[in-house]
Amino acid sequence: MKHAKDQLPFPVFGRRDARENGSPKRERERAQEGQESTVRRNGRRTAGTALMAGMLVFFYLPIVYMVIFSFNDGKSLTNFTGFSLRWYKHMLESHTMMESLYTTFSVALIATAVSTVVGTIAAIGLSKSKKIVQDVMEQVNNLPMMNPEIVTAIGFMLLFITFRVEKGYVTMLLAHIAFCIPYVMLSVMPKIRSLDPNLADAAMDLGATPYRALTKVIVPQIMPGIVSGALIAFTMSIDDFIISYFVTGGGVKNLSITVYTMSKRVNPSINAISTLVVVIITLVLVLINVAPVVMAKRQKKAEISRRRLAGPACALACVLVAVAVFAQFGGGGASRPYEGQTLHIYNWGEYTGEHILNDFEEKTGATVVMENFESNEQMYIKVANGEAYDILVPSDYMIQRLIQEGYLQKLDQSKLTCLDKLTDAVRGLPYDPDNEYSIPYFWGTVGIVYDTTKVDREDLEREGFDIFRDQKYRGDIYLYDSERDSFMMALKALGYSMNTDNMQELEEAYAWLVDCVQTMEPEIVTDEIIDNMAQGRKALGLIYSGDACYVISENEDMGYYLPESGTNIWSDAMVIPANAKNPELAHEFINFASDYEGAYDNSSFVGYTSANEEVMDALYGAGGDYEGIDAYVPRSDNPKDEVFDYNEDTRKVIANLWSKVKIVASNAE
Amino acid sequence: MKRFSQLALPYIAWAVMMLILPMGLIALYSFTEQGNTIISFTITLEHYARFFTDPDFLIVLWRSFLIAAKTTVVCLLLGYPVAYFISRSSEKTQNLLVLAITIPMWINMLVRTYAWIGLLSEGGLIQRLLGLFGLGGGELLYTEGAVMLGMVYNFLPFMVLQINTSLCKMDHSLLEASADLGANPRQTFLRVTLPMSLPGVINGITLVFLPAVSSFFIPKLLGGGQYFLIGNLIENQFITVGEWNFGSAISMIMAVIMMLLMMAVRRIEVRNSGGKGGA
Repeated sequence: MKHAKDQLPFPVFGRRDARENGSPKRERERAQEGQESTVRRNGRRTAGTALMAGMLVFFYLPIVYMVIFSFNDGKSLTNFTGFSLRWYKHMLESHTMMESLYTTFSVALIATAVSTVVGTIAAIGLSKSKKIVQDVMEQVNNLPMMNPEIVTAIGFMLLFITFRVEKGYVTMLLAHIAFCIPYVMLSVMPKIRSLDPNLADAAMDLGATPYRALTKVIVPQIMPGIVSGALIAFTMSIDDFIISYFVTGGGVKNLSITVYTMSKRVNPSINAISTLVVVIITLVLVLINVAPVVMAKRQKKAEISRRRLAGPACALACVLVAVAVFAQFGGGGASRPYEGQTLHIYNWGEYTGEHILNDFEEKTGATVVMENFESNEQMYIKVANGEAYDILVPSDYMIQRLIQEGYLQKLDQSKLTCLDKLTDAVRGLPYDPDNEYSIPYFWGTVGIVYDTTKVDREDLEREGFDIFRDQKYRGDIYLYDSERDSFMMALKALGYSMNTDNMQELEEAYAWLVDCVQTMEPEIVTDEIIDNMAQGRKALGLIYSGDACYVISENEDMGYYLPESGTNIWSDAMVIPANAKNPELAHEFINFASDYEGAYDNSSFVGYTSANEEVMDALYGAGGDYEGIDAYVPRSDNPKDEVFDYNEDTRKVIANLWSKVKIVASNAE
Repeated sequence: MKRFSQLALPYIAWAVMMLILPMGLIALYSFTEQGNTIISFTITLEHYARFFTDPDFLIVLWRSFLIAAKTTVVCLLLGYPVAYFISRSSEKTQNLLVLAITIPMWINMLVRTYAWIGLLSEGGLIQRLLGLFGLGGGELLYTEGAVMLGMVYNFLPFMVLQINTSLCKMDHSLLEASADLGANPRQTFLRVTLPMSLPGVINGITLVFLPAVSSFFIPKLLGGGQYFLIGNLIENQFITVGEWNFGSAISMIMAVIMMLLMMAVRRIEVRNSGGKGGA
């Protein structure tokens, strides 16, 4: 890859060379142009300027838009309702966000430092190696650059899992170092090649040790290459998403991962943290580009290599200060029972109250690290691959599976204070008859959320789930991206049990779903449905009862309907995995989240039905947040309603078929 | 100087571990049955067979390449004039413009993509602007157009900067020579400037096409849950479905196709630059 230098994503330094030897000629050339007719030249100039201006608007519009809306008082991303700093406050209070910022910068700095040093040494070594070694290594280094990033990412993930390295900060750092080194070498190599090969020999003939020859003679000569290599490494690391996403674990997230997992629901604090990043990056870049100019003016004869170092050095200092400031947020407090310990929770996204985690930290002195999943299946894969959490919040059938496969530990009943607070409907359910393993968290149904101004109640009553195939509502529906719930809907619509293991029935359900996605132009979403339905963007959607509660409490026009053909009564419960590192603290949290205060905060904030009977009554009763909203109280009088039963064979069939349904939907467009 | 060559040894060991081994593992997974351990496994071709016998998977693959190709063409059509304009402006302006295009690249890609959600969503700025011209009404977010816009937005700077670099490297006395020999500006552009900038164009195409074809968060954020590209297919296999062997097979297929494409592109480039390679 001889021209590889051109591919460097960092343009500023490469540009500088071109400029240095191009400008006098350009003067002459400009004189030539003067012979052209002035009118034509002006015309072209204007067109060019307009194009350039358009391009800059295109590049900066989203960024400016984001900065403006980070100051929006309301939650909307489209209507500016007034100036406020509340999202910044929200951001500063959010552990996840501040820690992800810290992770992003610290990983980038360490990875840059290590990869610059290692890459430079390796490049010097390679330049003196045999030709064949050089060629082979060049190809090897090309692997992460020429492969699609997702392939590289999966390679790292398989590597760490195969060798049982616990995924987290260290694995992320290792992966970053691994993909940064080739970029450093790529930018150092040409500088080494252009060196006089006898330089080091000469130094050593004059009495220098090899080490001194290296540090005093070779390194200073190739400094520009090293600096630009370091900058490229930093850029690559700070912007990385795909590789980090696949190799991280244990709740360690960088900024990209945080944005990716939070983007499902409208959350203007993403704008706030993005604005912060924009400000930091702009400052760094301006410093890099302005500092050398200022320095040059001050001492005109300063050495080039030193001048080039000044910018990045300033920038690095700035970033360090910023990181140090953010690191403060990890600080501790007075002595409390679990001071300095950490609780790792793996929970659904948007599934905890506003204050509960902070209150728990306040009370115990422990730090809570929460990671979110979108589906039980996604959670299972991580747990089965040995990631250690202290608490999981899976659904019924998944708990059954986890118990069967030995991934959970029995709860220590002597430490639990919450059993008698549970409502009868969720106590001792078939998946865990004696609540030996699990304490219910939320429960509810799956139903249809609909816009009462657009949907005929009669249609709903007549068609049930078949309304999702009614052409009247074509292009106006949301499906939920969950294999279980989608097949439940189809099976119930066809009049079968949702726990069927009859292949014929499953095939029919598959055909039902394929017909739906091919003829109805649905959007298949997850949590996006909540904000979108609250804004009345579509007429119908398959939804969990708790999300429906939230939607209805935000928008009175919305209703919730449970088809007579039956639905899924589900419950999600807190369990402690067998490999939990801090079961003691986990029990403490289970009690805390089941108590009136914790459970009230959870349920009132997210809208799901609490497993705590008192909380349920308070919220549904007079004056409660969900007073009179039927979706809040799950139906108990329809014999066709079912609870999921775990069956490994049908799970596989359903997972594959649903994956196919989504592909068909995608191809149908 | 043998002494210095030993400096490379630790890195060679590291590279074997961190760069070669992962690729080997993907290959191993892709050829073995689900549920095997690293110690005992059964070789199989079923994952490849499954991919190539199912038209739906092939359509996804085809569509991924199609949208990446469209994105690349748009980037080229927009990027070339911009790069040309930059290379023709004064030195100071050049610096500023290059910086202006670089800054967004430093801001996290996810953040930049997320920013489009607000702009494109219903009642958002873009829709309102289109409404002023009587073009409103249609949905913008969660369409193929939105996905392409996201890709162009994220990858266009690569194209502009690559072309600009090669335009700036050009020896300007060639232009004078061309004019002296009686070529008009258009002839000069077509016969001199364009061919000379070809290495930049090809690098730009590579840098846009490669990430576009395998991207999965842009389709997910701007295309919605039902918009599947090959990257989403792979992510889905690893994160949600849990069939890593099949996922590895898809990764291998993609890696091999991309490698072949790259080699083809390199060949074109070598031919065009008279066998001398690029820079």
